[in-house]
Amino acid sequence: MSFNSLPFIVFFVVFFFLYWFIFHRNLKFQNLLILAGSYFFYCWWDWHFLFLLILNSSLNYALGYYMAKATNQRTKSILLYIGVLAGVGSLVYFKYTNFFITSFISAFEKIHIIINIHTINIALPLGISFYTFRTLSYLFDINKEKFKPTSDIVVFFSFVAFFPCLLAGPIDKAQTLIPQLLKKREFNYEKAVDAMRQILYGLFKKIVIADNLAQVTNNIFDNYHHLPGSTLALGVFYYSIEMYTDFSGYSDMAIGFARLIGFDITKNFNFPFFSQSIAEYWRKWHMSLTKWLTEYLFTPLSIALRDYGKMGLILAIIINLTVIGIWHGANWTFVLFGLLHGIYFIPLILKGTMNKNKKIDPDKLLPSFSEFVNMLKTFILVNFAFIFFRSDTVSQAFSIIRRICSISLIQFPQNSKPYFIPVIIVFLLVEWIQRNKQHVLQIENIKQGSLRWGIYFVLFVTILIFVSAGDQTNNGFIYVKF
Amino acid sequence: MEKDEILKKVNDIFIDILDNKDIVLTYNTTANDVEDWDSLNHIQLVVAIEKQFKIRFTSQEIQRWNNVGEMLNSIMTKIT
Repeated sequence: MSFNSLPFIVFFVVFFFLYWFIFHRNLKFQNLLILAGSYFFYCWWDWHFLFLLILNSSLNYALGYYMAKATNQRTKSILLYIGVLAGVGSLVYFKYTNFFITSFISAFEKIHIIINIHTINIALPLGISFYTFRTLSYLFDINKEKFKPTSDIVVFFSFVAFFPCLLAGPIDKAQTLIPQLLKKREFNYEKAVDAMRQILYGLFKKIVIADNLAQVTNNIFDNYHHLPGSTLALGVFYYSIEMYTDFSGYSDMAIGFARLIGFDITKNFNFPFFSQSIAEYWRKWHMSLTKWLTEYLFTPLSIALRDYGKMGLILAIIINLTVIGIWHGANWTFVLFGLLHGIYFIPLILKGTMNKNKKIDPDKLLPSFSEFVNMLKTFILVNFAFIFFRSDTVSQAFSIIRRICSISLIQFPQNSKPYFIPVIIVFLLVEWIQRNKQHVLQIENIKQGSLRWGIYFVLFVTILIFVSAGDQTNNGFIYVKF
Repeated sequence: MEKDEILKKVNDIFIDILDNKDIVLTYNTTANDVEDWDSLNHIQLVVAIEKQFKIRFTSQEIQRWNNVGEMLNSIMTKIT
């Protein structure tokens, strides 16, 4: 039941009706409906791991409750360690067991020792990376006395399973979501209309851009050993745009659906491809994950390493970015993806320009030449790292890089549907013009209502055309599998 | 040293590290109120404050501050 599927639309319409017209008078019933709806949504995907979601919620509810009651720091810390061990332990078990086994075997193979261990068949529970991070932040904040736990069990369970962001984020902290669950929500027409616009734009990015690009990039990456460097370079460029439109499209929809039921959840993207440095890029790409790791991993690490000056900061950044890479999955390609991004930070830290303000004037129609060059440089670095992210194996990634760096880079690209290039350029131009808005379809500055409606209509019809023409069997969101 | 005097010194550190002359801190200022004061440069601010006042914070202390006022209280308890 993906956001871009008919069952979800039916589910959401029924949910919306019950939420605002039947249960709106009673907050407890409304929250119960969120919880029931979230579990229904989860079971539609896969009911097998619902027990794990409930177990995770129960354990963290109890830990939070007793942590707040604990009179000494020692008890609090023990409860926190139990929570971290259970959360990280289940993540490691479900996501990384086979990775450790195969890495272990191949490490010994290198020194000619054959070890006979079999990998085990473990299915990945949906959303585990996202809801585990949500509950961990809850415990960390209680420990730091930054958040008082709720005793309302329905509210807490709804926070963990909140369906708009259950499967692929944004990773909201308890401080964002729980106070909103405890307070009566009022239907706001203006907000609901704006949410619909955001969902429409998210759908457009996913169905019209990401899904179409996916067909080309899958073809290019599957047949990389037959293709010239030029095609592969174009494939990498397409993949960056695909990733962005897929994941930011998903996030726009998640935020939009949450807003339709009266919630403001964390923003996940802020036009990252217009960043002028890699530090700025990470402040604007998958923002909820970056903020999470910055707060709970990078900050304690950088505090602990602060006596080592810039070297300490570099080490903290490299560990942080490598963990971001590994978070995506159990593959050395993700490790290298994260490590590479960590390395990109080194010149910024050495030059001390990591925090220097380089904001582009919001009223400026075009960037200056140097701003444009900085954006281009950052974009190329991001594209290069995506080669590792997209490749199935490290050797595939290096093989693609070798081909891109060969003379075949100047050949005419094959099978790469070049008509996507002008479409992407127009898309990026529109994003640039709207870069100071919460989302691109905030077009209230267009005074003629007929023109605004014309734009919505064109987007809607284009989506419908691609839905009816496209292959709908294999168009899940990339981040749902993380 | 008075709390206001410490605030002034801390304000100067912020201006220097965050490269922004317009920063005016109050006791209630939080990271959300100051542009570019994020976790990435938070540690550079902490190190600069520790150097200026010749003090040492614990990791727990640093992570518990909710606003500038609480940070100043930590400094006060260490220098008096």
